[in-house]
Amino acid sequence: MIEINATILAQILNFIILVLFLRAVAYKPVCRLLEQRSQKIQGDLDKAEADRREAQQTLAQYRQTLQEANVKAQEIIDNAEKTARDAHDAKILETKRDVEQIKKTAQEEIQRERNQAMEQMRSEVVALSLLAAGKVLGKNIDNKENDRLINDFINQLDKEKLGDLSC
Amino acid sequence: MHEIGVRETVRFLGLTFNIETLHMTWITMLIVAVIACLAVRNLQAVPRGWQNFIEMVVLWLHDQIDAMMGSRGRFLAPFIVTLFLFILTSNLLGLVPTMASPTNDLNTTLGLALLVIVMVHALGLYFKGTHYIAHFFQPVPVFVVINAIEEIAKPITLAFRLFGNILAGEILIIVLLKLMPIWMPIPSVLWLAFSIFIGGVQAVIFTMLSTAYLANAIKESNE
Repeated sequence: MIEINATILAQILNFIILVLFLRAVAYKPVCRLLEQRSQKIQGDLDKAEADRREAQQTLAQYRQTLQEANVKAQEIIDNAEKTARDAHDAKILETKRDVEQIKKTAQEEIQRERNQAMEQMRSEVVALSLLAAGKVLGKNIDNKENDRLINDFINQLDKEKLGDLSC
Repeated sequence: MHEIGVRETVRFLGLTFNIETLHMTWITMLIVAVIACLAVRNLQAVPRGWQNFIEMVVLWLHDQIDAMMGSRGRFLAPFIVTLFLFILTSNLLGLVPTMASPTNDLNTTLGLALLVIVMVHALGLYFKGTHYIAHFFQPVPVFVVINAIEEIAKPITLAFRLFGNILAGEILIIVLLKLMPIWMPIPSVLWLAFSIFIGGVQAVIFTMLSTAYLANAIKESNE
């Protein structure tokens, strides 16, 4: 009943064959699959980490760009305001100058008108005076003497009255 | 399996073989191979159903091996799995009518036990070198006798435990069937159930002890 013969060798051989078969057919594929999966998960995790870092970097970059854009926009606005203010000031200055010019021109005009009016008036006065004097004296005096008298009179008038006439 | 203890033998190349044991072994191998093929059929990157269980078993086994002998024992995982599946299937095969367990033949169990022990010593020498030989002479050289007895006892206990349990189970089934009338099947059914349990337990014991012996030879010596 307990008899050991060559079967023991055959059984050892059988078992080794079975081990090799299972190793090749079942064990290796499962191990390879597990290995692949863990590698894939590791790879995915690494990639996610890299993506996250890249996203952060991009975000920081965007923020910086935005900041710069804001600064630049502010600068542009400031520039525009300055330009506008300058233009405004220049315009006001010009207007003032124009007003001044116009005023000056007007004053000159007035002065001229006044002088003209005075001249005219003086002529009228001379004529009237001559007429009046002629009538009063009843005779024509020598023309030269006449003019001198009149001019003296008028000059006195000029000095004492007309000079103070306000226009 | 009819007359207990008498085995049909064939002679081949001048050697004697127990032909029934060989046939049963081949059937067992076929069953194990088919189970393994079915188990790993259609493996997918995203595991589903049965594949989860297979992966769980493999990972559990790796954890056990890592704990017992460090990660350099990983290459033994298929050996251990096959040992368990082969012995379990063998044990259960004998419970099918007209079949016999390959493990009810001492040639099978002793063959497996010797294979394990040879592997233990070979791996011990390979991984630890002279240190492995030296540890038989510790703590004092006299201990080599005790150590030698222990090393010789290992394969014998492994082989005879399995052989005895399975053979006893099969013998008792036959005895019970002969003793009890056929309309009173309760004892033999109970014994059959118990034999299924024993078959599983013995497969676990054999595998666990083999693993422990292998672990002794492989694990780092700073214990």
